[in-house]
Amino acid sequence: MRRAIAIIIILICSLPGVVSQSAAERYMQAGGLYSSGDYSGAAAIYRQLYEEGYRSEDLLYNAGNAFFRSGDNASAILFYERAKLRAPADEDIDYNLQIARSRVTDRFETVPRLFFARWFDFLSLLVSTNSWAMAALVMFVVSLLLALIFLTKSRARGRLLSFWLALTALILSAVMISLALRNNSLINNNKRAVITCSIVTGRSAPGENGSELFVLHSGTAVTVEQELGKFYEVKLPDGNKGWVRGDCMEKI
Amino acid sequence: MASMKRYILILFNLLAALALNAQEVNLTVDAPERAAAGERFRIVYTVNATGGQFSPPAFDPSFSVSGPQQSTSRNVQWINGEMSSVSTTTLIYYVVATMPGRYTIPAASFESKNVTVSAPAREIEIVAGGAAASQSQGQVQSQGQSQGVSQASGAQAADGGTDVSLRLHVSTREVYIGQPVSATLKLYTRVNLSGINELKYPDFKGFLREDLETPELRSLETEVIDGVQYGTGVLQRFLLYPQISGEIRIDPVQMTAMVQQRTSMRDPFFDDPFFDSFFSGVSTVPRSVSSLPVTIRVKPLPEPRPADFHGAVGSFTLSSDLSKSEVEVNDAIDLTISIKGSGNLNLSGEPGINFPQGIEKYDPEVTVRSSGTAAGSKTFKYLLIPRNTGSFEIPPVSYTVFDPQQQKYVTLRSEGYSITVTGSGDQAEVAAPVYVPGEDVKYLGQDIRFIRSGNGSLTLVRQPLVKTTYYWLWFVLALFVASVVLLLRREQLRRNADLTGSRNRKAARTARRRLAKAKALLGSGMTEQANSELSKALWGYLADKLSMPQSQITRENCHTGMRARKVDEGLITEFDSIISVTEYSQYAPRTEGESPAALLERASLLIGKLDNVLD
Repeated sequence: MRRAIAIIIILICSLPGVVSQSAAERYMQAGGLYSSGDYSGAAAIYRQLYEEGYRSEDLLYNAGNAFFRSGDNASAILFYERAKLRAPADEDIDYNLQIARSRVTDRFETVPRLFFARWFDFLSLLVSTNSWAMAALVMFVVSLLLALIFLTKSRARGRLLSFWLALTALILSAVMISLALRNNSLINNNKRAVITCSIVTGRSAPGENGSELFVLHSGTAVTVEQELGKFYEVKLPDGNKGWVRGDCMEKI
Repeated sequence: MASMKRYILILFNLLAALALNAQEVNLTVDAPERAAAGERFRIVYTVNATGGQFSPPAFDPSFSVSGPQQSTSRNVQWINGEMSSVSTTTLIYYVVATMPGRYTIPAASFESKNVTVSAPAREIEIVAGGAAASQSQGQVQSQGQSQGVSQASGAQAADGGTDVSLRLHVSTREVYIGQPVSATLKLYTRVNLSGINELKYPDFKGFLREDLETPELRSLETEVIDGVQYGTGVLQRFLLYPQISGEIRIDPVQMTAMVQQRTSMRDPFFDDPFFDSFFSGVSTVPRSVSSLPVTIRVKPLPEPRPADFHGAVGSFTLSSDLSKSEVEVNDAIDLTISIKGSGNLNLSGEPGINFPQGIEKYDPEVTVRSSGTAAGSKTFKYLLIPRNTGSFEIPPVSYTVFDPQQQKYVTLRSEGYSITVTGSGDQAEVAAPVYVPGEDVKYLGQDIRFIRSGNGSLTLVRQPLVKTTYYWLWFVLALFVASVVLLLRREQLRRNADLTGSRNRKAARTARRRLAKAKALLGSGMTEQANSELSKALWGYLADKLSMPQSQITRENCHTGMRARKVDEGLITEFDSIISVTEYSQYAPRTEGESPAALLERASLLIGKLDNVLD
């Protein structure tokens, strides 16, 4: 029994290592290309790794840098935004993203979001979805144990304390579940997208017939409200909405 | 002079009117075969008659014509007592043609006393630029030789449209910013000039102009260009330092030349130097002359510029000198940095020297020695005053200049020095503290930060737990387990409670049963067993009523239990006494006094009373 567990643990630990052996090599190779000045080559490798499903804060950050250097500002912003979702408190990402954004043609008077919404998102991104989920489960079990103590203990003082602790643990567990869900929706189902076409027109209706409302340039971040065929309804940072061709943007 | 000449001419005209002479009327035209576009040339019509009507030719519309300037002269001569008089009318047109090409000046006619004469049509070629100047006929005389000797050919005043010109010569037409261009403004003339007025320079936009010392123009030098002799003279030399890059145009230099021009025709009679200068009217005509614009291509200095580049462009050498290396505190030392070579010395900035703390530095005394051309030297003399004792290092000065020949930045280095400062400590203490002002970090630009090294700790994206069913099943499972545990515990508690309750309810009954058994035993004479049964009945009753296990039944526990249940102290004493009697009787069977039957009665009464209280 103990042997079987040990084997399983070894397998679990070594599995990602074996799979990403060549991926790590390619990652290092891309870093070398970047250092030697072949930015588009490095960017291609980073993007390939991303599309194969590899994720890490450094990968996304480096990809953003490579795209920025190779002149693809929109992709650079896209990857910086992705990296920011994984490391919301990272200074370098913020700094580079700010520089990349300063090269975007479109400027908006952004409507600031409510502070607690921002804090909640920030908190949810501090650790991964699964960490929040595991913490929520643990907290739920703790709350159940405390509830059991409350329900079976006969002494009055201990009962009161265990009651409040159980209630707190239950609330914490609920908060952690919502953080996990928020984290998941931000990282895996983000509604925001970056315009990749150098110029694209926003219309009042999906299709090429709607009247023209605005013109967007590459690098602008928008929020996708709904999708209808090839056309997405996007919300601009200043609150305006319009229909834009979906192949002209990439979701964060 | 001029008024006197006019007086004499009038006198001669009056004399000539007396003797009319039927001479043949003749109209001649004098025009150059070629002229430069944009330059003024003259067309002169001469008729040997006065009065009459002159019909000018129809000039090409593209010509801009001014004039005619008309002058009349009359000569009277006596030969062998016979008087003959010649009167001449001269009409001068000043023409400027702008478009190159071949043009025809149509015939002009003169009508006088029913006689009409005409001058022939003339062909004229207008050429672009100043090419005509070298080919047009004429003679150049240097101003120095021209005094009193007029060799002008023909009857007309020697003066052409391109006879005076001004040129701006530049040493090079392609330079770097800051690289000096030496420019020379030169005058070319084929006619006599009496002077130059109003030399007007353009504003040299994009350049910094430095005038060089130029000797005043007193005499012209003879120079032959394309076989034509010109009198030339340098008006001004200067250096131009370009300040901006691009194709920079220097606008024309303008001046007014005072041209000496003879207005009367030469006469054989008065053909000697005195009369020539006396009668042939030499008048001074102002003529505006301008040079051609010059375009200079100024190249920007290559980027990035080194940090220690201070604007010096040219080929330089750097040298330094320290007046003394061992010095007392508060004694001055001179550090001299000199830059020698050719280039824009005036615009070369001060080298940046990091003097050690403890040495006070004053602003340098700057001396520029430039000798006509751009070669020279610039000296920075720093006055240094050590305020602390010790040994100080003055680092080598590095000064980067741009060398246009090599087309790259060249860093010049001087040697470093070490200074030993001696002196008493008191002096050093007195010295003012050295104030070192802080300097903000200079931000040269903004760029993204470098990529992260390391293996990147790549992970494959996984299905998030919140999207899996088993994750949520864990919650259900936990809840289920907790519920089961709770239910089991509850059941256990309930059961325990039930057990106590039944013992409680049955306590009195069990006790009475035991008492009845004791009574039966007593009846059959077994007093000891009866007593034992009696004590069992009492202990068992209390154990059941106080929910205590049999093992914990002691006198003290029973007392505590009964007092907690507010049992009367009297009953407790009664209980004690009965138990004492039973225990006593167990070890000493034959007791006197109280009979066992009475004891049984007391125990029965006690249980009845306790049952009321302990219910």
